[in-house]
Amino acid sequence: MVLKHSIAGLSLLALALAAIGGPAGRVLAQSGPGSIRGHVDIQRPASPIERRVTASEPGETMAHESPRDRRAVVYFETAPRGAFEDRESPHATLDQRNEAFVPHLLAITVGTVVDFPNSDRTYHNVFSLSKTKRFDLGRYGTGRSKSILFDRPGIVRVFCDIHSHMNAFILVFNHRFFAVTDADGHYEIDGVPTGTYTLSAWYEGAVRDQGSVTIGPEQRAPELNFTVR
Amino acid sequence: MPARPASFPAACGLRRLAGSFLLVWLVCVARVSGQEWTPQPITGLDGRFTLRGDATATIGTDDTGYFNYTDYDHTTLHLVRFDATAALRAGDHVTFLTELRAEGDSLHGEWLGAVYAAFVRYRPWTARPIDLSAGLVPTAFGAYTARSYATDNLLIGTPLAYQYLTAIRSDAIPANADQLAAMRGRGWLVEYPIGSHTLATGLPLVSLSGYDTGLLVQAGGVRGRVQGLASVTAGTLGSPGIDHNGSPQVAGRLVVRPAIGLVLGASAASGHFLEQSVADLLPPAQQHRRYPQRAWGADAEYSREYWLVRAEVVASDWRLPVIDQPAIDRPLGSIAWYAEGRYKIVPGLYAAARYDHMTFSDIQTSLGKTTWDAPVSRVEAGVGYSLTRWLLIKATIQHNTRDTARVPALTLPSLQAVLWF
Repeated sequence: MVLKHSIAGLSLLALALAAIGGPAGRVLAQSGPGSIRGHVDIQRPASPIERRVTASEPGETMAHESPRDRRAVVYFETAPRGAFEDRESPHATLDQRNEAFVPHLLAITVGTVVDFPNSDRTYHNVFSLSKTKRFDLGRYGTGRSKSILFDRPGIVRVFCDIHSHMNAFILVFNHRFFAVTDADGHYEIDGVPTGTYTLSAWYEGAVRDQGSVTIGPEQRAPELNFTVR
Repeated sequence: MPARPASFPAACGLRRLAGSFLLVWLVCVARVSGQEWTPQPITGLDGRFTLRGDATATIGTDDTGYFNYTDYDHTTLHLVRFDATAALRAGDHVTFLTELRAEGDSLHGEWLGAVYAAFVRYRPWTARPIDLSAGLVPTAFGAYTARSYATDNLLIGTPLAYQYLTAIRSDAIPANADQLAAMRGRGWLVEYPIGSHTLATGLPLVSLSGYDTGLLVQAGGVRGRVQGLASVTAGTLGSPGIDHNGSPQVAGRLVVRPAIGLVLGASAASGHFLEQSVADLLPPAQQHRRYPQRAWGADAEYSREYWLVRAEVVASDWRLPVIDQPAIDRPLGSIAWYAEGRYKIVPGLYAAARYDHMTFSDIQTSLGKTTWDAPVSRVEAGVGYSLTRWLLIKATIQHNTRDTARVPALTLPSLQAVLWF
């Protein structure tokens, strides 16, 4: 059931990400931009992936990733016209620290170069077998970093070939109308043209909730909240 | 002989069918869900309970030379195995850990079920990496013992030191060197006149058939660069499991990581291997002597970028009672070593190869000097491809040679699927 939900969610996201340059959303007017803000209530935070226990290895000493670190992404299912005209090539960072990817969730736009520094005293081997971006950075040690250009929209699952509990999500959008929630679950998407939009709340591999909102002359900063059950 | 798990041959066909169905189903799920479904251990009780699992299915041509036969009466090239490891943390200091295995042969033979490991681990200081374990514990010896899961093995075959069956038995012995030499190259089915008269497998240098009963101490230090292990167990490296003679085995291992990517290890073990039932048949003067298996090991691993290379050597000797002429008056020595490497070609695809060799010391027989068992070599090469994060397919070809008239050489292709969470 969870798997089915996950696949369905991914399909929705893929559709959203594929809507390049189309007349997306029901645009009421092209007057000044507004913003959408709100809160994602994660009622049952996902547990971090535990280390694979083996009888032949000593017990663990490293601190675990806290479930509170898990955040959601809120994004437009369909983006406004002109949303795809940004041609920046920004950089983002996915650190490897204390045998965890930091942050666990990274949301970027197409064309972003992500750096993968190793801040641990041990080797890591970052890789992904996702259809969106398939890569393997090999093993490298402390202080070194390698980079990958994400040139297609979609979801990228990132793992470490040495530490099986290390994992992260990279969501690659072809528009800028998305936001990662802060530690308290709040988000804000700025610079939104007037119109009616459908937004999705994505959390740990699936779209968990959706909602619609209208930005118009009377309502420049509507609030839209989501619940992840 | 190692303690054997319970067998359940009556349900063999049904279980094989069920296992095959499960594997096909998992492969289908893998194809559908692709990379996006995250394999992860099952957790519960606020993270205090963790369960992981592995399923391995291997098919290959018939190993008519028994080069890959194990002391589990299975060949590693036909192995179907289900493995589950569970850990329950009872507070900050105590963890209960158990590993269950069910395995069978994809061509023929019995299915076996076993408690592979079952021990309690005590950590006196939560912030210090020192563990005390008691129960059915891993022996503090060798590098490959920690890599015996199929996901950790670069290829399909097991290194000779950890699998190849010699002509030594712990429950039956030859009276002289001629009887020992008659068993050269047939460790898969050994028979001697003193002790058990049942035809059975010989002992490997280090058995992976099960953990041993006893105590294990593990300690780390110098920011994880040094790790020491020491164990006192009832069995021996080649014959772990239960106590057959009231004499414990002492083993130790030191692991040093002088630089990132470089791991060096050294191991030693000594324990009385001959079963009391055999010792009782000896002349009174010989009954209370020690007949130990002593072993030393050294290993190294280096990895960088897309390369991983490893090498390990295990030297072992067994002392047998001197009973008749021509006498076996010196310890029977054996040295096994291997070197292996892996290179990642593209994301998800790697190539690997291993060279493996095993030699034996000389004995004097009525017909002249010869090695007490037949030297054997193995070259194995293959590729591994990850369809998803949690499904690995391996294809290898293995060429074995042995200094015997019967099946002196054999080439064996095989295919393996490994699913894990």
